[in-house]
Amino acid sequence: MKRYILKRVGYALISLVLLSVTIFLFVRVTGDPAVLLVEPGASQADIDAIRTQFGLDRPLWVQYGHFAVSLLRGDLGHSFYYRMPVLELYLSRLPNSLLLAAAAMAFSLVIGIPTGIIAAVRVNRWWDSAGKVFALLGLSLPSFWVGLLLILFFSVYLGWLPSSGSGSAAHVVMPAFALGWYFAAAHMRLTRSSMLDVLGSEYVKLARLKGLPEALVIGKHAFKNALIPVLTLAGINLVIMVNVAVVVETVFAWPGVGRLLAEGIAFRDFPVVQATVILGGFMIVIVNLLVDVLYAVIDPRIRLER
Amino acid sequence: MRPGRARSVVLALGLALALLPAGLPIGATAAEAAEGQATWAVHITLAPTWFDPAETPGIITPFMVLYALHDALVKPMPGKPMAPCLAESWTASKDGLVYEFVLRKNVRFHNGEVMTAEDVKFSFERYRGASASLLKSKVARVEVVDPLRVRFVLKQAWPDFLAFYATPATGAAWIVPKKYVEQVGEEGFKKAPVGAGPYKFVAFKPGVELTLEAHEGYWRKPPAVKTLVFRTIPDESTRLAALTRGEVDLAYSITGPLAEEVKRTPGLQLVPTYFLFTTWLVFPDQWDPKSPWHDRRVRLAANLAIDRAGINQAVYLGLSKLSHSFIPQGMEYYWSPPPYAYDPKRARALLAEAGYPNGFESGDLSGDTIYGVAIGEPVANYLQQVGIRLRLRPMERAAFFKEYGEKKLRGVIFSGSGAPGNAPTRLEQYAVTGGRYTYGTYPDVDGLYGEQANEMNPRVRQQILHKMQQLIHEKVMFGPVIEPAFLNGVGPRLEVHGLGLIANHAYSAPYEDLRLKRP
Repeated sequence: MKRYILKRVGYALISLVLLSVTIFLFVRVTGDPAVLLVEPGASQADIDAIRTQFGLDRPLWVQYGHFAVSLLRGDLGHSFYYRMPVLELYLSRLPNSLLLAAAAMAFSLVIGIPTGIIAAVRVNRWWDSAGKVFALLGLSLPSFWVGLLLILFFSVYLGWLPSSGSGSAAHVVMPAFALGWYFAAAHMRLTRSSMLDVLGSEYVKLARLKGLPEALVIGKHAFKNALIPVLTLAGINLVIMVNVAVVVETVFAWPGVGRLLAEGIAFRDFPVVQATVILGGFMIVIVNLLVDVLYAVIDPRIRLER
Repeated sequence: MRPGRARSVVLALGLALALLPAGLPIGATAAEAAEGQATWAVHITLAPTWFDPAETPGIITPFMVLYALHDALVKPMPGKPMAPCLAESWTASKDGLVYEFVLRKNVRFHNGEVMTAEDVKFSFERYRGASASLLKSKVARVEVVDPLRVRFVLKQAWPDFLAFYATPATGAAWIVPKKYVEQVGEEGFKKAPVGAGPYKFVAFKPGVELTLEAHEGYWRKPPAVKTLVFRTIPDESTRLAALTRGEVDLAYSITGPLAEEVKRTPGLQLVPTYFLFTTWLVFPDQWDPKSPWHDRRVRLAANLAIDRAGINQAVYLGLSKLSHSFIPQGMEYYWSPPPYAYDPKRARALLAEAGYPNGFESGDLSGDTIYGVAIGEPVANYLQQVGIRLRLRPMERAAFFKEYGEKKLRGVIFSGSGAPGNAPTRLEQYAVTGGRYTYGTYPDVDGLYGEQANEMNPRVRQQILHKMQQLIHEKVMFGPVIEPAFLNGVGPRLEVHGLGLIANHAYSAPYEDLRLKRP
């Protein structure tokens, strides 16, 4: 088991190193940030001064070395645009992202799981069809469009909710819905298919043959087993919600990590992009690592196979 | 549930619903909003570098904040492009080597310190923003004559000293308190900036909002609005929704159909502002004898083919200024050329005269993804109508300016610039040999540029610069299009919104002049 965990940790570290190299190179492929920090028509001297100030005039390998050493020290660098430590910036946005992700996740699970169960139990009937439409819309409607419609309806026409920003419970309602709908649809579809698998299994048939009430068969025997893949997906989705809710955060001016990433990309703020991607990647790697280890704990065949 | 309790729950829910529309933050009271807070919805993310004049990067945007937090010796004010502010007056020596500023007495920074000539010297020496190296290469030394008198000694006469020092071309004349900066350090200053402007720093949430409070002791007059909030709302539709709901009092940058919506909504106003920004076509192949663009008649045909008024109406609701020069109309030393009429018939005739009766393929019309598309696309369509066939090539902004600066673009370039300065600085970048975006020029244009650079007599200098612009017009070096307006929505609570009070300034200012309507 120890060897298995060490191997997984090793893979996780390699993933993070590769991620750091990839993102370091990718952001630089996008072009020169100095050009975006001055007005078109600015003199070459001004552009060069900005490059020197940010160390962009140094060879690439020197820049990466500096970045990697700083990263090992826990220093994610200084933002070109904000001129403040990126970690400070990230941590100032993280609580908002966690709040939004938690609300959106709660919405997606509260809506997605029950509708998925009902769709599986009432397969190919009205409920199932309604669930399919709900899922289709959630997966296909662009979140910015949903967000704008929500603002128009609930803020402008009805005047019930603030149009944007953060600071009160009312502010989180619309962004959570706009973000959560997509994930609710995904969770609904997975719950449905997972439930259908389980409902067709031998032990569920046996439970029914034993004359157990249908509610007990579904609630106790089927649902508990069908929930495992849904919760695994929800865990990964939560990390995605925290880190890449770019569109929803932009539409609702929600000050989260996703918007920070979008600003970083827009301003070619290399340290901000690198830090948000690496921290997001770090979260995903940790969640994956925990899932791998938990699977191995639950099912010994997994650790023996590998 | 007992009837009494049920009633309480309904009342509580009703109260909660009544509060929801206001979107009040937890802990806030309605009285705070009524005491005189004005909220600005800003289209761009506020950066702490904008709190420090030393970091001014050569774009107009930071002046949105600088006009509130800080003050300059001399700066543009209503009716005056260079108004005495922290300096009561200034003089220039006859040889143009010495500029002496007399400071206003008893001007206090937000922390109570009195501003002195030491602060002016310190602010200049500390300045590291746009054109810092140019300014410092021209200034031999800054002398503190006495606490209220400071002298700038130049290495040689430089007619553009004030154009760089006393306008938004740089932030070098914006004064910070020396003692405070030394005490808190550079990072500390950005976190808690102290200035001599009409508003004091209260709080900043990066990427969210900046809160300022009136500086009662501001020398010009105490501001009328107690609290100013700049809230970043990146999405244009959301900014308009916030304005419509009264969550904000002014929303910057509302364009296209949304601007029409502002015009239609009772209680809202659409207010255009203008800054030194203009758009124009560059014909980089005009120096290639094999190219159709080498022929002046072809370049003139392109200019006559564009319906500038039509583009203005379609994209900017007719609120932009039509442009007939690549130098903006508000710039010092601007020469007003005769306007190009929209005359597609004559354009076709000119093309036929030049040997292209059926038009010609001209490759790409390269531009950025904002103006290069919004204005570039109709331009390409107009050119197409007379036979100049171009493929629109929108490029990501930085990539576009990189290729433009490296002289890699061919065909036609859709260019634009909002860089502060004056006509000579614009000419230097685009029309004179060695300019960052100069693809070619003519010897007489080059010669005149050298001549004006050392001319200290403003009238003579103006004549030379006008002659240069005349030559550029005669040779049809460029295809000016429009000077785009910056469209903004203003809510019903503002009596004085400050937009357009200062010429060539895109944002509200001076903030001490803002006024809310009395209830």
